[in-house]
Amino acid sequence: MKNAQITLYIDTKRCMNCRACEIACKLEHDLPVGPRYTMVTETDLMVEGEPKSMFLPTPCLHCGDAPCLSACPAGAISKRSDGIVLVNKDKCIGCHECLWACPFGIPQFGSDGKMEKCTLCAHRVDEGDRPACARACPAEAILVGTTAEISETLRRRYAGTAFAKTLLGGAAQGR
Amino acid sequence: MAKKTPAFQRHCEDLNKYAVAKNVPVWVGGEKIVADRVVKTACPHNCYDTCGMLVYVKDEKVIKIEGDPEHPITRGHLCLKGYSNVQKINSPDRVKYPMLRTGERGEGKFRRISWDEAFDYMVKKITAMRSKYGSESLVEYCYSGNREHMAKAVSGRFLNLFGATKLVGSFCLLSGAAGSYQTVGYQHTMSPEVWSENCEAVMLVGRNPSFTNPHIYPFLYRAKERGALLIVSDPYVTAVASKADLHLQPRPGTDGAMALGMMHWIIKNDLHNKEFIAKYTHGFEELTKLLEKWTPEYTEEITEIPKEKLIRAAEIFATKETHLECGYGHQRYSNGHQVQRAMACLAAICGHIGKASANYNFIDSMGFPGIEGFAKTAAVTSPAGAEIKPTRMINIATFAKAVHEAKDPPIKGVICYRGGLVSQQPWVDYTIAALKKLDLFVVIEQFMTDDTDWADLVLPGCHFLEQYGLHTSYWHHFNQILVPVCQPYYEAVPDLEIFEELGRRLGYAEYFPRERTGLDYIRMLIGDNTDVDAATSPNGPVRLGEEWCPRVPYEKKDFNTPTGKVELYSTMMEERGKKFKGDYEPLPHFIEPDESPCRTPELFKKYPLTCISQHPAFRTHSQFYNLPWIQEIEGPPKIFINEADAAARGIKDGDKVRVFNDRGELTNILARVSIRVRRNVAELSSGMWVKLGGSVNKLTSLSIGGPRDVLSEDGIMYEYHPLYDGNTTAYFNSLVEVEKM
Repeated sequence: MKNAQITLYIDTKRCMNCRACEIACKLEHDLPVGPRYTMVTETDLMVEGEPKSMFLPTPCLHCGDAPCLSACPAGAISKRSDGIVLVNKDKCIGCHECLWACPFGIPQFGSDGKMEKCTLCAHRVDEGDRPACARACPAEAILVGTTAEISETLRRRYAGTAFAKTLLGGAAQGR
Repeated sequence: MAKKTPAFQRHCEDLNKYAVAKNVPVWVGGEKIVADRVVKTACPHNCYDTCGMLVYVKDEKVIKIEGDPEHPITRGHLCLKGYSNVQKINSPDRVKYPMLRTGERGEGKFRRISWDEAFDYMVKKITAMRSKYGSESLVEYCYSGNREHMAKAVSGRFLNLFGATKLVGSFCLLSGAAGSYQTVGYQHTMSPEVWSENCEAVMLVGRNPSFTNPHIYPFLYRAKERGALLIVSDPYVTAVASKADLHLQPRPGTDGAMALGMMHWIIKNDLHNKEFIAKYTHGFEELTKLLEKWTPEYTEEITEIPKEKLIRAAEIFATKETHLECGYGHQRYSNGHQVQRAMACLAAICGHIGKASANYNFIDSMGFPGIEGFAKTAAVTSPAGAEIKPTRMINIATFAKAVHEAKDPPIKGVICYRGGLVSQQPWVDYTIAALKKLDLFVVIEQFMTDDTDWADLVLPGCHFLEQYGLHTSYWHHFNQILVPVCQPYYEAVPDLEIFEELGRRLGYAEYFPRERTGLDYIRMLIGDNTDVDAATSPNGPVRLGEEWCPRVPYEKKDFNTPTGKVELYSTMMEERGKKFKGDYEPLPHFIEPDESPCRTPELFKKYPLTCISQHPAFRTHSQFYNLPWIQEIEGPPKIFINEADAAARGIKDGDKVRVFNDRGELTNILARVSIRVRRNVAELSSGMWVKLGGSVNKLTSLSIGGPRDVLSEDGIMYEYHPLYDGNTTAYFNSLVEVEKM
């Protein structure tokens, strides 16, 4: 069952901070200023003495065992059989318990005070399509699919290629 | 007037002919909406990528934009600006109708008028100006807000007929282009699908593709998967530098010295391509002499690049099939022309020109389609049978200086469109002082910008999706004609039609027939070379012909220079230097930027940070800055400074700081204390609006990149060739200081 569920993988070797996913998401969901269903976080770090920046888009990860779901006292959060975690706004009481529970700070609260978040573009997925962020990404860094599909893509990209040796896609290689 | 001018009325075309499909369901805000049509077009926002777009229209409103999956290079992906055009075109803040100033200049007080009143006002003012000062008192200000070339040619037709002063040059990249041209001749780029499959290494210089060229990444990654190494030269730790195998961080403005140091090592260690040099280059001995002093030690002293890294870069570059991809950052200094010459020479001495595996890219001539004959620009700008008299020219890189200094006649009227004059010209206060001297300042705009505040007349300009356009990419080779996807919003009128009507009303009606559309002008420009229909929605894009965009540029080694070779010693520069003042030194020598720790040590003591500016992901120049989505994602204006510089000033990450020099100041800028910049360097991104805070051009200097010293001519010229004379605003040689507020 779990193997058939779809999930999301961010290939941080490829994400390069263009932020297209953030706007594509805003456009897809017609979001006003306020709720952000995905956000690119930036981190600076030294790798082998070299300054590097690293980027991580953070849409909802649609956890296998979603803490938000267990935390919700109103039963507003559910997980579909394909793995997508959704919130039912009609049931949400705006208590923020899900935000406390989420390890990634995903739940958003707009002007109505109710939780909303990334739906993995369930409306598109239902039609066999990919989420807007994954469609938009020029670096093809946002992968969505079953774990088998994702691992096949990663194997094609990195197994046995020179890119594989690189940390953050850089630094260590060829020294 | 005996004859009354007919009221201005637009002819609205039926745009359904451009539909790729009609009645197309599309997701908008989680709901499926049936769009009336979907139209294929391309983005003309002065970017390498020139993305293919699919635009969904319902009730003549844009409801959704997606990438065109059939575009061979952009492959269905857009950048955040591309998608945010939905918010931009639909913005309630758009300029909706013509507006005439009622308050003082700068107050921003206007009243609504009709288009007829607007044209009458312009005609009256322009006619009075012409009789008092002559036709050369009028000039346009136009740049790359919408970088398509067709309407600019039509405005050129009007301005030529009228006899206005011509606006020429660039404040962006012509220093590099002139340096490049006077080394290799033609301006070509090798399209990424070619080098990514063949190179062993890629070197990026002065280019931050995450923000200005995101579609290069799949090709870079493909090259890396194949085993290619990536070398990046950038003073800032960009995303692409973070993914590099080797990141060289030169002191700002010393990339040319870096190239000289690399060449020194390559030749000293016998890694140069002797056969290529002997057969296809001119001036190797002179160059070798210039390189003598550029030992790794001396290069390190000048560039602050550790010599071990420089050597490693030189060895990779020479011994692997290294493709060189130059951006524009490294040439936005007063020495930009020589920096780019040095880059071209570096590629040449390794023989990395003219191969599918390794070539030399700066900008494709398609970036200036009029210069080398692809577009028959003169057919539009100088109509047959019309008397076009030669006029003086002013250089956009020194625009405000020319307005201040022009005397015979003075510049009295400016029609400004497709460019943020106040926000993009260097030294804002000096620019505004120049605008105050005008009798007429007309601004065609989509929003109330820094320019409109100073305007006498604001005209509602069209978004690019509301008008025709021709924008050939200056990086890849696929062309999609821009068509209006919907009727203009509000009372906006396409730029082309504003100039046509102005021309008719000023007595040139025969040259502006009413039945002609933008597509007709595009046919006049490129119809001889290109199947325009095949590149126009529902068709397109098409690959431009091999004659204009060779798959492997320079493959035949027929360099378009006086010697027919790559000119390490530039005879073109030498000749031009006999005619004009400037740095036409025929060898790519290194000169310090106009403001730098070494060139101006006294100023450096007072202002010890060299302020460089990225073009951020969030804007193309000043555009998009006012959109709510963009403001939310970008956050407040930030300046990046190094930990040591911050500590010395008692600044902590997140503090509010004042950034200043003798030219101006910015307040309430958020300090980001970061390893992304080295000591004595600050980064403040470009394009923020003056009135919204954060405009780096409050601080930038009038200094320009060469080779020609147009500043000493007050920016006023009677002869000019972009590829000989160049010029770029040297935005990055600006020294500043930062203090905690």
